[in-house]
Amino acid sequence: MANFVQLVILGLLAGGVYVAVGVGFGLVWGVLNIVNLAHGGLVIVGGYITWQLFTALHLDPFLTLPVNAVALFVLGYALQRGVINRIIRAPLLFTFLLTFGLNLVIINILLLIFGSDFRSVTPTYSGQGLEFGSVVIPYVSLTSLGAALLLAAALAFILNRTRIGLAINAIAADRDAAQLVGIDLRHAYAVTFGLGAACAGVAGGLIAMIQAITPTAGEPYTLQAFVVVILGGLGRVSATVVGGLAFGLVEAFGQSIPGSGSVFANAIAFGLMVLVLVTRPQGLMGRLR
Amino acid sequence: MNESSSPHRPLQADLPLAGEVKPQLELLGVTKRFGGVAAVDGVNLRVGKGEILGIIGPNGAGKTTLLNCISGVFRLDGGDIRWEGASIAGMAPHRVARLGIGRTFQIVRPFGSMTARENAAIGALFGSSDARKGPKEAFEIADQVLELVGLKAKAGRPVAALTIPDRKRLEVARAVATRPHLLLLDEVMAGLNNVEIDEALDMVRTVHATGVTVLLIEHVMRVIVGICDRAIVLESGRVLAEGEPEVVLRDERVIQAYLGERYAKRLRASGDEDGTN
Amino acid sequence: MIATLDSNRRWRRAFLIVGGIIAAYALLAPLTSLDAAVSANVPLLADRLWFRIATYIAMFIVMATGWNIIGGITGYAAFGNVAFFGIGAYTTGMLIAKAKWPFLAALPFAPVVAALFAALVGLPLLRLRGHYFAVASLGVGVAVGELVQNIDYGGQPLFGGASGLFLPIDSIANRGLFFFYLMVAAAAISIAVTWWVLRSRFGYGLIAIRENEEAAAVLGVNTTAYKVAAFALAAALTGLAGGIFSQWNVFINQDNAFPIEYNVQMILMALLGGTGTVFGPAAGAILLQLLIQFLGGTLPISFDLPFVSETARPIVAQIILGLLLVGVVIFVPRGVIDFFGGRSRLSLSYLRRSLRETSL
Ligand SMILES: Nc1ncnc2c1ncn2[C@@H]1O[C@H](COP(=O)(O)OP(=O)(O)O)[C@@H](O)[C@H]1O
Ligand SMILES: [Mg+2]
Repeated sequence: MANFVQLVILGLLAGGVYVAVGVGFGLVWGVLNIVNLAHGGLVIVGGYITWQLFTALHLDPFLTLPVNAVALFVLGYALQRGVINRIIRAPLLFTFLLTFGLNLVIINILLLIFGSDFRSVTPTYSGQGLEFGSVVIPYVSLTSLGAALLLAAALAFILNRTRIGLAINAIAADRDAAQLVGIDLRHAYAVTFGLGAACAGVAGGLIAMIQAITPTAGEPYTLQAFVVVILGGLGRVSATVVGGLAFGLVEAFGQSIPGSGSVFANAIAFGLMVLVLVTRPQGLMGRLR
Repeated sequence: MNESSSPHRPLQADLPLAGEVKPQLELLGVTKRFGGVAAVDGVNLRVGKGEILGIIGPNGAGKTTLLNCISGVFRLDGGDIRWEGASIAGMAPHRVARLGIGRTFQIVRPFGSMTARENAAIGALFGSSDARKGPKEAFEIADQVLELVGLKAKAGRPVAALTIPDRKRLEVARAVATRPHLLLLDEVMAGLNNVEIDEALDMVRTVHATGVTVLLIEHVMRVIVGICDRAIVLESGRVLAEGEPEVVLRDERVIQAYLGERYAKRLRASGDEDGTN
Repeated sequence: MIATLDSNRRWRRAFLIVGGIIAAYALLAPLTSLDAAVSANVPLLADRLWFRIATYIAMFIVMATGWNIIGGITGYAAFGNVAFFGIGAYTTGMLIAKAKWPFLAALPFAPVVAALFAALVGLPLLRLRGHYFAVASLGVGVAVGELVQNIDYGGQPLFGGASGLFLPIDSIANRGLFFFYLMVAAAAISIAVTWWVLRSRFGYGLIAIRENEEAAAVLGVNTTAYKVAAFALAAALTGLAGGIFSQWNVFINQDNAFPIEYNVQMILMALLGGTGTVFGPAAGAILLQLLIQFLGGTLPISFDLPFVSETARPIVAQIILGLLLVGVVIFVPRGVIDFFGGRSRLSLSYLRRSLRETSL
């Protein structure tokens, strides 16, 4: 029983990272209709910013997260405005290849700057946690989950309560109509991608605290973000939160199966994705559109 | 599923059927829901071989949905559809097509990278299974069909170079090229001017004259009155009225409830014009 | 209009002539490595490096041409075709290494097993469309590689595990020449298959599916069967390349049998040359593979990158490749063949038009 409780807690805590990775990916997909294969690259850029600030300036890693968000927002805005906007009406194959190319550039620039050594962020409190009998809750994971939920809430607030957020929603509903009521598409698209990248940056900061990173460490997160968004259902931040937590749980229980270990992480993620897509294409939380 | 020797006695057994008594196509309580709302709600309908049946009704009445049910694009939520006595409910669209049920799409769906001729050839290549051809003969059939719909001169043009009315013609050409026994036409005359409508009417008559049963959805009343043996009125997914076109169109319920008073007046006027022609 | 047609024809002829010369050179040069030619003092045109690069190019011609059948002709953006390459490699590899079959007996099973696998996963996968299919197929590519590396049987890794699978060294005479011609034969087969597909009823059905799947269905195209068949055909060709690769390379593991970057490379090749065409993917494969080798510094004609150390060079090569990918997608979305010769002429206005068509 304690083992079960521990697994549920671990799963939900791990889910925090998936929430953070998923919300930005889902936003870009839902609004821009782009499956962003550079998402993992952007995530790991955030990871390196956190690592750099932590090692050079000894900042608490959680305090670096706003820096990640701002820096990645600017990068994302520029990428969309300068590059991706140019093929936004092209068939999906092109957006796929374009974002894959961007990912390649990002990863290799990181390799040039930081090399391929493993880097980790270990604040003094890492390794410590709250203990309830045999159940242990690490501080880092707990705070990460909190930060991820805060991130999702902030994104939901921006989308539902601000001018630009409403414009983004209008575009997602009907691009042409949105243009007719005077929304500047180029700007709104760039803001959308910027917000998605900002979320990726925050996710990267969280990831740097729980695993050692290399420039290619973001790769698996692209596929996982996709699964998370599908699991929850495309189109709403709250659905992605559920999808992320559910994915964390699935992973925790999958890894607890004796023998399978973590080596089948991708196979599990993929199997789950196909299962959901074929049986419930609208996701766990989604409505059929 | 099983084919009973005595055909179902439908609710409207007493309604007139052009041609034979035994229906070619029979709809029994056909129902299709979208998220709880029934777009088609227990529709019973019999179509006789060689008939031209018109379906009218306001926007959103469920006409296109009904067509999608017949052609296998949508799975039924209730009821049954019989073709020549055998159930075709749940059958994949390509199998329905091969039985000889051809259709057009209200919002045209051409094969964009192909020429008009190639578009029509796809119908001939894959359509009705008793008349399937290889690529060479398929192109010959495509040429004949394009001539029939008046696209012969534009056969070599890519779809992108066709006007909207031409794309509607192409939509018909493709369906006719499958050599159907039953042709389902979804508002192929919407947006055409009077001359074009006359051409389209001739086209439907020509196809019909080769022994094809026609079920057509139209808003243009002149078409319904001018060509249909029988018409049904659909509203909120249900059959509201059924009978001879003139009678149905003058049915006070139909006019009041669906077309609105002002439209009804105009309709009466245009109907009179038709009468004097 | 007339002028375009003329220039079209001229470009086509130029393309055929250049292609013919390259093909003749590629097919004849290996002969200079035969003993008879060496003893007759014919200059050696094909050394070990030549064979290695040329065989890789032929291998990518097979993969790009195979991808074209599902991705270019049928319009399903498959992003995981490397799975079929790996399955082909491991099928042949296992039959040779574990069952001790001779290579040529084991090879035909590579395409067969790859096609069967494609049909199996294709049935659920090909119900998905657009992004969903693309990423799900990407998932297949990743997952299959992972499974092959990690599946144990009776405590032993079934497929050689993380340390890979070693095949017995064969005793084939003129090894480089043999595998080169074998890979070229596979490339010829894949091009011939494409040529046949584009002229057949099957091909018309696939194109109809690409252009509008629902319309194809109501015209009588059995869309499920056609899509699965196209996927299986692509898999068979890709699996054949994998099968040849396994014996050629003698050693296979997750990294060289399931390289994720092949997924994108084969698509980029097809795109470069023109998707949906017979020769486009092959032309793209030659171009891109030469470029990759050139950037990587393996070609005899080499270059120095300013400010770049020897260790940083492969990284910079990858960055250039990424930028190239971005550039191709933005500026020449219809492929370089179209850019140079197709419906339009090589010009700035072409680039500007490409931009206008797809940008906001
Ligand atoms: N694919 C669909 N998904 C959800 N609702 C649909 C779909 N197709 C049609 N509907 C709904 O069903 C109703 C009937 O639509 P339709 O058959 O297109 O009407 P008509 O052709 O008579 O104008 C409408 O309310 C429409 O919104
Ligand atoms: Mg309609």
